[in-house]
Amino acid sequence: MSLSAQQWLQRIHTLNLPAPVKLMNVCGGHERSITMSGLRGALPKAIELIPGPGCPVCICPEEDVFEAIQLALHEPVILLAFGDMLRVPVNVPKHQPRSLEQAKAAGADIRPIASPLEALQIAQDNPSQAVVFFAAGFETTTAPVASMLAQGVPDNLYLLLSGRLTWPAVAMLLNTGQAAFHALIAPGHVATVMGLPEWEFVIQQHQMPAAVAGFTAESLLAAMYSVLRQLETGQLALDNCYPQVVRSEGNPTAQAHLQQVMQVVDANWRGVGIIPASGFSLRPEYAAHDARQQLPSYADEARRYAGAMPPGCDCAQVVLGKIYPNQCVLYGQACTPRHPIGPCMVSDEGACRIWWAGGLRQSQG
Amino acid sequence: MCLGIPMQVVEINGFNARCEAKGIEREVSLFMLQHEDIQCGDYVVVHVGYAIQKMTEAEAQSAWEIYDQMLAAEDAQARGT
Ligand code: SF4
Repeated sequence: MSLSAQQWLQRIHTLNLPAPVKLMNVCGGHERSITMSGLRGALPKAIELIPGPGCPVCICPEEDVFEAIQLALHEPVILLAFGDMLRVPVNVPKHQPRSLEQAKAAGADIRPIASPLEALQIAQDNPSQAVVFFAAGFETTTAPVASMLAQGVPDNLYLLLSGRLTWPAVAMLLNTGQAAFHALIAPGHVATVMGLPEWEFVIQQHQMPAAVAGFTAESLLAAMYSVLRQLETGQLALDNCYPQVVRSEGNPTAQAHLQQVMQVVDANWRGVGIIPASGFSLRPEYAAHDARQQLPSYADEARRYAGAMPPGCDCAQVVLGKIYPNQCVLYGQACTPRHPIGPCMVSDEGACRIWWAGGLRQSQG
Repeated sequence: MCLGIPMQVVEINGFNARCEAKGIEREVSLFMLQHEDIQCGDYVVVHVGYAIQKMTEAEAQSAWEIYDQMLAAEDAQARGT
């Protein structure tokens, strides 16, 4: 029988935790739920909850956002992007549009969408125009994009794909010894699509406890209790604390669509660098819909290095769980949701934005 | 962006469905749930317009409770700024 949040908390308080324990989550949805339900304050002091790489908008390479802005400004296209992307800043000289929102204000046809289905509709409604769908996201978002292509799309729809896989970022942290955490809370909806086995490496290769959590306080606390208990007993096993939705094998149709339409490639993460096998690109069979192959390119190799986070912004450190949002000196000072400096303050899944929305207003930086 | 929302299937037309949550209806694709038998009245987790998994009514209710709290807390904060 499932326990209530209160009962899980009681159980956690009875655990014997001699030293501080750091638990990392890698999902903006988890971080929102944790922050908004005030879980940090309810847990024993020895437990720290660290928001990790859980925000696809935050790590979307600057050169991809730049490319989208340039295509929209200089080519006769309709550019579509998830709403969160519109205010993400790029590093350009003062007089140039520094976000899709500013490019839109400068006259480009840029439209925020919430679903690939809208992209399909807009492409169907505008058959004589090239429609570019700038699709950034983790597996949960990229799988529907793959499904859309697998089902068939009009000739005038092009993908500027910036899809990323979640687990390789965690693997990178663990492999390079940069992991400043003791256990992992794995993302429930990524696992819903991709299945449980891809998280086994945390336990098998790194002897670190891990549990998949859903988004209710009960499910998150169950996962926290599970990993703490694994730490206490030394008996590790990947725990599924979201069994109502997550099946071990994930969603086989979604995985088949991903496999059919896309391949896994090394990919750049903004401010972080290249992470091996962490991105999706379209397979050659879908080249006719690949904006990178069919439309002029504004990319230049120099951007990849110049185009990290905006000056002074510590988003990359926040994304990797190395500092808390309010340890950035700009947090709440120069950088607020109204005047965001970095992507972590723009996106609903960015840790800076979430902490601000949760009422934390002071920088400790 | 990785937060799926529970919705109830109201009408099915091939791979397209009309789904409802909190009195709001949306077009939802069932293309990613071809391996499942989906009926009207079922609950699904919807992410960016695609149903990614089936779920029970009880789970849908408890998920909505936390989402309501989250949205209310975020709304209150947004109004305060
Ligand atoms: S507070 Fe603003 S500037 Fe600092 S890390 Fe967050 S988004 Fe970047």
